[in-house]
Amino acid sequence: MSSAESPAIDYKALVQDDRIHASLYTDPRIFADEMDRIFHAGWVFVGHDSEIPRAGDYVTRTLGREPVIMVRGKDGGIAVLVNRCMHRGTMLCPADRGSVRTFACPYHGWTYDLSGELLGVPYPGGYGSFDKRAHGLARAARVASYRGFVFASLSPAGPTLAEHLGAATRLIDRSCDLAPDREVALTAGWVKHRCAANWKMLPENDSDGYHLGFVHSALFKSIRTQYQRVVGDERSIKAVIRDWGRGHIEIDWSPGYQAPFEWLGNAAGAVVADYVAALERRDGPETTHRRIMEGPAHALIFPNLFLGETNIAIVEPVSVGECVHWHTPMFLRGAPQFNGRLLRMAEAGMGPASFLMPEDLIVASRNQAGLHARTAEWLLLGRGLNREYMDDQGRIVSHVTDETTNRALWQHYRAVMTAA
Amino acid sequence: MVSDTEYRAVVEFLYHEARLADEARYAEWLALWTDDGVYWVPATTDPDATPDTHLSHVYDNRARLDTRITLLQTGTRYSQEPASLMRRLVSNVEVAAAGSELIVESNFILAELSVQAKHEMHWWAGRTTHRLRRVNGELRMAGKKVVLVNAAEPLPNLSFLI
Repeated sequence: MSSAESPAIDYKALVQDDRIHASLYTDPRIFADEMDRIFHAGWVFVGHDSEIPRAGDYVTRTLGREPVIMVRGKDGGIAVLVNRCMHRGTMLCPADRGSVRTFACPYHGWTYDLSGELLGVPYPGGYGSFDKRAHGLARAARVASYRGFVFASLSPAGPTLAEHLGAATRLIDRSCDLAPDREVALTAGWVKHRCAANWKMLPENDSDGYHLGFVHSALFKSIRTQYQRVVGDERSIKAVIRDWGRGHIEIDWSPGYQAPFEWLGNAAGAVVADYVAALERRDGPETTHRRIMEGPAHALIFPNLFLGETNIAIVEPVSVGECVHWHTPMFLRGAPQFNGRLLRMAEAGMGPASFLMPEDLIVASRNQAGLHARTAEWLLLGRGLNREYMDDQGRIVSHVTDETTNRALWQHYRAVMTAA
Repeated sequence: MVSDTEYRAVVEFLYHEARLADEARYAEWLALWTDDGVYWVPATTDPDATPDTHLSHVYDNRARLDTRITLLQTGTRYSQEPASLMRRLVSNVEVAAAGSELIVESNFILAELSVQAKHEMHWWAGRTTHRLRRVNGELRMAGKKVVLVNAAEPLPNLSFLI
């Protein structure tokens, strides 16, 4: 058999209910499959409405490895255009963000409008009859948003965004409803943290409650944090994890919270008084009390959006052994008095110089190094199978240190990777 | 302009601070700070960005700086356990007096061997602004701002002292 006829990858054999195979993190062919099936055909988080407020504002992102421009059009709508001139493939926008009237290619001067239509081709005499309408920028076939979070899919077919998100919209609601104006704003800029590990380790770790007391023991030894109550005796830990279906997974710390605003560094006094009053005017005292006790979601929206409590994070795959974790603080519209605090919390929790993520990412890169072993091939994923249960809304729930969330991630992964 | 004597004292301070950071001598490095010190590593090279509206890599007041050092001293700050092997060059030193303080600008290049996982060499470069003040006759840092050339790019762990 020639190498060109290498057998198809058997994802059902590699992803089992209680264990997964190491090659899922190390095989470049699997990475290529994932880009096609998960990041190109599926729905992927691109950016937030608040990042591009005016016509012509844009940010550059990737859908998997596909470079794209998320741009605000003249009509106020958002397009996700492929960041590549249709003539010879030149990247149109090399910057992270900017504001333009048109997209102009530096190579031969082709220009496109904000919706990607080809406007001008210099020296058109060289083309004879040339239909400009047939040479507009390639674009994401589908773009849709939920509460300002913009998602795109390169495939014209498949589930709608509403079907993809399913009940997990409630996780996004939980965070957005904390804003008196019901909207969050991602306007503080992004920090990008490079990780020498396969991209899937980030969503796995973001939804793993078992590692905290070990990976982050330095922090717990040094200062008190809102996570303190999940590193004590196993039976005294009240936080839970939930499987929301379709790969969307959650850690809910709130059953362990004992006072309002534990999620906001125990903010109290004058800084929260106006905020609580604004929420009470909108929602009444009972709902407000629940909101300020529970705080924002800690959840992964499959595959690349992490609602990281007071931060929003993006998982960007780079290659089979490298990825980037982006984060920005989640500002609450109508409560600008929290912005300074949210900035400092973001710097403490996430990013290359923070007090949490450097440990996560160094362990991830040590995982990646260890997984090149083939004498031992499997990763165990069975923790909590003995005690997880289904709640009255059909969600699987378990102790925060269990692997229910990671199993849910892999089960959805297997479904996507084996779909016809 | 400052006197040659003052300039030399500043340069010696910068070299000393660089060596303490390179050698992970955390307590001695921390002792170089004033009680109101601010340690700032922006996440952008935009000179107009302020830490009040823009996310930073580091924006430590003295309390958070103390926490940063405490973490490094626990022995389980795994991203710096063991500590990276580092050497940095400090150059292009310009000193200006500003009231009772000295504003010192310099460039640096730092070779970091990250020994916690893959033993990769990371190269860091940027421009530092020190705000120095004399406390009981000794130069101390009231501010240190480090603008990395690649501040806005994906960075590997930066949990050592930059």
